[in-house]
Amino acid sequence: MTYTENYLSVVGFILVGLALPAAALTVGRLLRPYQPSGPKAMAYESGVLDPTGDSRVQFHVRYYLFALLFVIFDVEAVFLYPWAVAYDALRADVGLFILAEMGIFVFFLVIGLVYAWKKRVLEWT
Amino acid sequence: MEKYFLDYDWTVMAPELIILAAAALLSVIDLLLKEGGNRRLLGWISLAAVIGAGVVAAQQLGDPAYEILSDTYRVDDFARVFKLILLAGTGLILLGSFREMDREGKEARGEYIYLLLAALLGGMMLTSSADLITLFVGLELLSLASYILAGIRRKRTDSNEAAWKYVVMGGVSSAFILYGMSFVYGLTGTTNLYTAQQRLFEAYNSGYEPFVLLSLFLMLLGFAFKAASAPFHMWAPDVYQGAATPVTSFLAVVSKAAAFSLILRVLLGTYLFLLQAGPWQELVAPALLVIAAASMVIGNTAALRQTRTKRMMAYSSVAHAGYMLVPLAAVAGAMLFESTIYYLIAYLFMTLGAFTVLMVVERETGNEHLASFAGLSRRSPLAAAAMTVFLVSLAGIPITAGFFGKFYILIHAVTAREFWIAAVMLVTTVVSYFYYFGVIRMMYFRPPSDGKKVPIPAGAAVVILISLAGTLLLGFLPQWTLDFLGQMDWMSTLSPVRDTLGQ
Repeated sequence: MTYTENYLSVVGFILVGLALPAAALTVGRLLRPYQPSGPKAMAYESGVLDPTGDSRVQFHVRYYLFALLFVIFDVEAVFLYPWAVAYDALRADVGLFILAEMGIFVFFLVIGLVYAWKKRVLEWT
Repeated sequence: MEKYFLDYDWTVMAPELIILAAAALLSVIDLLLKEGGNRRLLGWISLAAVIGAGVVAAQQLGDPAYEILSDTYRVDDFARVFKLILLAGTGLILLGSFREMDREGKEARGEYIYLLLAALLGGMMLTSSADLITLFVGLELLSLASYILAGIRRKRTDSNEAAWKYVVMGGVSSAFILYGMSFVYGLTGTTNLYTAQQRLFEAYNSGYEPFVLLSLFLMLLGFAFKAASAPFHMWAPDVYQGAATPVTSFLAVVSKAAAFSLILRVLLGTYLFLLQAGPWQELVAPALLVIAAASMVIGNTAALRQTRTKRMMAYSSVAHAGYMLVPLAAVAGAMLFESTIYYLIAYLFMTLGAFTVLMVVERETGNEHLASFAGLSRRSPLAAAAMTVFLVSLAGIPITAGFFGKFYILIHAVTAREFWIAAVMLVTTVVSYFYYFGVIRMMYFRPPSDGKKVPIPAGAAVVILISLAGTLLLGFLPQWTLDFLGQMDWMSTLSPVRDTLGQ
């Protein structure tokens, strides 16, 4: 297979990508009942009651601080989970060092949390 | 047999671990201390940590190269010398800025110190990395900490502007570097710099020439940005001007040194085969020389028009980045590492000295306009005399550090028969006399606006004296430093280390 022929699979992907939503919408239209009512016709957006109007809604800047803080726990969970699953195997292999290693990692994340706490990121007002 | 973490000789990482521990410790202490309380303690701890790390790194000089963590982290003489430069720069900046940061960022004194240490740690990782991922993590640690440092004067608009510009432009350049790295990984299936060299050579010979060169040039573009060399220098004047002066000197000295270690490590560690294969002479060297020449011309001519000394120093640092790129482009000559690093050391002393005097003057007059230097010879003879030496050295006049630095680089250019770059270097050096001497003229031949003395804080005075000693010593006795650098094992930088456990 030459270099350009590799792109055939990309073309295939594009075609499937175009066909899939078209097929899904068509099949849905054939299968579903059609009984429109007021609330059903309203545009839906999670957490927003009336999502019409100006799209430039200002969020309070504190949301961003909370979002950043959330990332600390998010990343922590992402790393803790596989570590916990593999803990027994790693323990047998490397010994207690594997616990110390995660301790170091969590310690550094805790510094981040304590920093945010002391800098009053957790208070809303 | 698999090698485990604990089997490695972790003491080779002691300098990094000391800095890491200090940064963690300081951030905890800073949180425990009373708000608005005295933060002088943090400064002393950080200084002790930097000195300790420097002593450990100096003791390791001359040890054989050693790779740990599955060959991703590499401690060789190249890394150790660069680490010493980074540590010396950060140490002097810390010492000189104790008093300054009390004034500049009342609410962020603790942050200033441990962000500086975090940036230093990133720079040290950068010099020691033998793997694209480690390298990128180090680079981002350095960059992210620098972004925050640039904006640490929160209430000042120009500081915020500096941080914002730096984040956006720095992010773009990181993206270019990553894009280049992705080609390396795509062609070789490895992220190790030295394994990648062998496989890139195979890829190069089996018809992937354009991609090999594309990866190199994408990364080079990003590196040139980090080193603030033209035409990727546009962020430097605004960021240098907006950031607090100690932070500016950090960006000008430590960040730049780290960027040069990055350029040398990647180009020589991964792309050296291009020298035998041919395109180095045809494409890479001309590209480097064009960047170097553009930096010299743009840096030195734009500096002529500046009325703010920090902007002037920013353009001057662009020009110096240009000088330092010449030996790498003319790699054919021997002593590539010696002359680049000699220039870096000279640059470290004279730039740090100049910035410290600038900081002292700025502290007294409240701004860093050229006019603030008027009559400095009467208001503070010592500061004026020291500044004269630094400026003369930056201009490259004998017998100062800057002269020999430029002299060795010039020899490189001539040996490699790149006469035009030597000519550009000489002409732009003469051009640079105008703005360097403009400051000297201000200090000696213009009357001061008021007769008030300019007090020099103790820490800043020590830094000025050390820089003065370094600048003069490198100028009078260049052989000492060259002999010292000549004893290092530079060739180990070019080849991988195998069997790190010495089985």
